Amino acid sequence: MAEALAVRGLCKRFGGLRAVAELSFAVNEGETVALIGPNGAGKTTSFNLISGYHRPDAGSILAFGRELVGLAPFAVCASGVARTFQVGRPFGKMTVLANVMTGAFLRDKHVHAARQRAREAIAFVGLSAKENSLASDLTTIDERRLELARALATQPRLLLLDEVMAGLNPTEIDQAVALIGQLSQRGLTIVIVEHVMRAIMAVARRIVVLDHGQKIAEGSPSEIVTNQDVIRAYLGTGYAHRAGSETDPC
Amino acid sequence: MLVSLALPLVVTNAFAIDILIRVLLFAFIGVAWNLMGGYAKQLSLGHAAYFGLGAYTSTILLVRFGISPWVGILAGGVVAMLASVPIGALCFRLRGPYFAIATIATAQVLMLLFLKFRDFAWGAEGTTIPNLGNAPLMMQFPGKAGYYYLALVLLAIGLVITRLIERSWMGYYLIAVGEDQDAAEAIGVNVPRIKRDIYMISAFLTALAGTFYVQYIYFIDPATAFSFNVSVEAALVSIVGGIGTLWGPVLGTALLEPTSALLQSWLGSGRGGVQLIVYAAILMAVILWRPSGLIGLLTRRADAPEAESAPVNG
Repeated sequence: MAEALAVRGLCKRFGGLRAVAELSFAVNEGETVALIGPNGAGKTTSFNLISGYHRPDAGSILAFGRELVGLAPFAVCASGVARTFQVGRPFGKMTVLANVMTGAFLRDKHVHAARQRAREAIAFVGLSAKENSLASDLTTIDERRLELARALATQPRLLLLDEVMAGLNPTEIDQAVALIGQLSQRGLTIVIVEHVMRAIMAVARRIVVLDHGQKIAEGSPSEIVTNQDVIRAYLGTGYAHRAGSETDPC
Repeated sequence: MLVSLALPLVVTNAFAIDILIRVLLFAFIGVAWNLMGGYAKQLSLGHAAYFGLGAYTSTILLVRFGISPWVGILAGGVVAMLASVPIGALCFRLRGPYFAIATIATAQVLMLLFLKFRDFAWGAEGTTIPNLGNAPLMMQFPGKAGYYYLALVLLAIGLVITRLIERSWMGYYLIAVGEDQDAAEAIGVNVPRIKRDIYMISAFLTALAGTFYVQYIYFIDPATAFSFNVSVEAALVSIVGGIGTLWGPVLGTALLEPTSALLQSWLGSGRGGVQLIVYAAILMAVILWRPSGLIGLLTRRADAPEAESAPVNG
């Protein structure tokens, strides 16, 4: 299977802090991979490096065979790699539809075509009823939906989801898991940063675990929950026994 | 619409029609400023740079080479547009207030340059535009009505361009940049390019106003052409009227410009500066009372959502 994303030897320092050190991992096309680890492990920094917000000190990032290092964020997006933000960043003064249309304009500058595509993305995330609401009036879950719809409207092949489930209640998490499942079935490659272990277990085929900017483990969900290093660094000793239960380890 | 066309026929008082011309002119400058400052929220306080470049380009072409200001006005627009590219490349590295300060500097630097260009551009003395009497081909009209209609046409052009941009992908991109540049980049908006493009359009239009103004007052010097007041006025009328809205700058100018002119004529002869104090008090009151602009009073939220035109709330 072809590699959608290949990260090799990625390094990033902020002053004296090693945010990401010698990070390498690969994601196959159509696969869903989770990036987990304690706060400050370098997950969001990795996303910022891949999506062009930070420039790595060393390393390479290939997406569908194309080098992303050195590209500005909009160029990364144009190459088919879209991201969402940990904290939703809607354009508050625009309606939901206008927000998503702004994303759709990347592939087609015609207003009618963009509106069409935006409506499809909005329907997919289940936000059609609020199409004409101002984005600043949305609830947390709807803000996440908007964030996702806006990213989808750019027609990505690879989607980077940064903690889309933070702050959602269990029912909403189930909805989000179902959405991600559907995206994956459509053939989208997904990298997800998440703390909600229950959701990760449901969606990820593989998990990459980071700690202090380094990869400490990689494997299938069942391998990861029994890995001693991972338990020590992140999950906590209680987790192995409760694996698959409702509890969020954070 | 019809009222604005018929006005010069009814209003014969030279003072009144002068105020009307100034309203149209500054509304047009406001509209030009608003494209960048309002929609994309790049608060420039240096639009006098382009006003001045437009004014000087057409005047130099006219006085030195005898070229009609009708050609000069377009040449000035092009010069301003080209100048905006390096100026933008420098200033857009900065965000927020730092951007505003940098733009102030660009206009000031240009003013200093033109003060030094004594051989070429008359230095601090400035020059008068030769009065040819009735010469419409040289953009000179016997009465004020001609200038009134010209200013009206400029404003109409500015409004049509704004409308077209607002309704197209560019409008969405501009508002997105104004709301959150990083989030806009994440969904593929080429932020540096859209800023550069809108700055070029805004500079071009502002320069047209510069040519018009010197043709109207028959005089140019660096202090007039690159006046900080022009920069401030451009921003102020938009902010008072409502930034990022089609009619905001027009409404803002229609209120501020006559107020300022009337205060000047009523109070200006009295104790020095009283009219400025009253004017400032009115400004502060309006901005405190309606921070998002007075246009919000006229357009209700209910008729805003033609969902397709990227709406800005009132």
